[in-house]
Amino acid sequence: MTERVWEVFRQEDEGDPMIHAGNVNAPDEELAMHYAREFYGRRGESHRLWIVAREAITELDDPDLLKPPFDRSHKKPGGYIIKHKLEAAKQRAASEAGE
Amino acid sequence: MAESASVLDVTAREALAELLMSVADDEFIIGFWDSEWTGIAPMLEEDVATSSIAQDEIGHARALYELLAELTDDDADRIAFGRDAADFRHAALMNHARGDWALSVARRYLYETADAVRLTALARSSHQPLALLAGKMRREETYHQLHADAWLRRLSEGGAEGRGRLTTALERLWPDAQDIFAPLVGEEALVREGLLRESMQAMHAAWQAQVRPILEPICGELPSATPSRDGRLRRTDDFAWLHGEFTSVAGSEEAATW
Repeated sequence: MTERVWEVFRQEDEGDPMIHAGNVNAPDEELAMHYAREFYGRRGESHRLWIVAREAITELDDPDLLKPPFDRSHKKPGGYIIKHKLEAAKQRAASEAGE
Repeated sequence: MAESASVLDVTAREALAELLMSVADDEFIIGFWDSEWTGIAPMLEEDVATSSIAQDEIGHARALYELLAELTDDDADRIAFGRDAADFRHAALMNHARGDWALSVARRYLYETADAVRLTALARSSHQPLALLAGKMRREETYHQLHADAWLRRLSEGGAEGRGRLTTALERLWPDAQDIFAPLVGEEALVREGLLRESMQAMHAAWQAQVRPILEPICGELPSATPSRDGRLRRTDDFAWLHGEFTSVAGSEEAATW
């Protein structure tokens, strides 16, 4: 049998994010569904499964695009130090309320 | 109409016990045969799926044995593991050893389709606990049948060897598969009381009408076949061996609790 790899995502409850659960080998979509159900749903632990042929996934792992060589700290929320500003603002608000 | 078993006369009670035992034994024995694939199924994923389905069938048997135990003031474990081989009531289809993969697929297909017809009738039983249980079983059996369908198609479309083996298996099992609808002792009382909504004969006709159009394009015309009187009484050496296997643990330490 020619097997293909199918990536399986599961959702625990309605509204929860779909989280990668793992993968199964199966020759076609129909058996992939059965196997995904057995591997990631037979204990009643999943509300929904997504079964995706691995070749249908567009992969991006180019370090030039994902880990560029320049400092990117200014693109992270942590790049702005607001801790002290926040404390000062709280104090100001407290003293205004006390007046 | 019998709402509960307590209002049934002796004949109907005994017939209901016979019905419960025959369905339970079918599920129990096919579950044990299919569990023989654990570790050696065609691929890892299929190994898990087949084992899980086999486990489901044994779970259904357990629920049915519990209903039976309540009715006859017995114990489900004793019914399952404490009976002689001669006292089992499974259909002749379950007398065959595991065989090759095609035989297991052919048996599962024949069984699941027949069981679906039977469960539909049982879900309307006047015996409420049985009707509720049959309804629950049907939800799980729907998936079992999809799995059996998938494999039947794979083998029939997947080349000469698969098709050849499947055809051999279907021809071999076809006569004994009829016996899922073998007449039951006290069947008239069952139908009269609404415990069983359709006669075995009617269900048999419905099942044949459903599976012939699927199977005959695969294996050619199937001979006319009807359930036999002793369809749930015949035993084989294969079954005697399996009986020895599944009673060996319970028999090694009597009265042990698990």
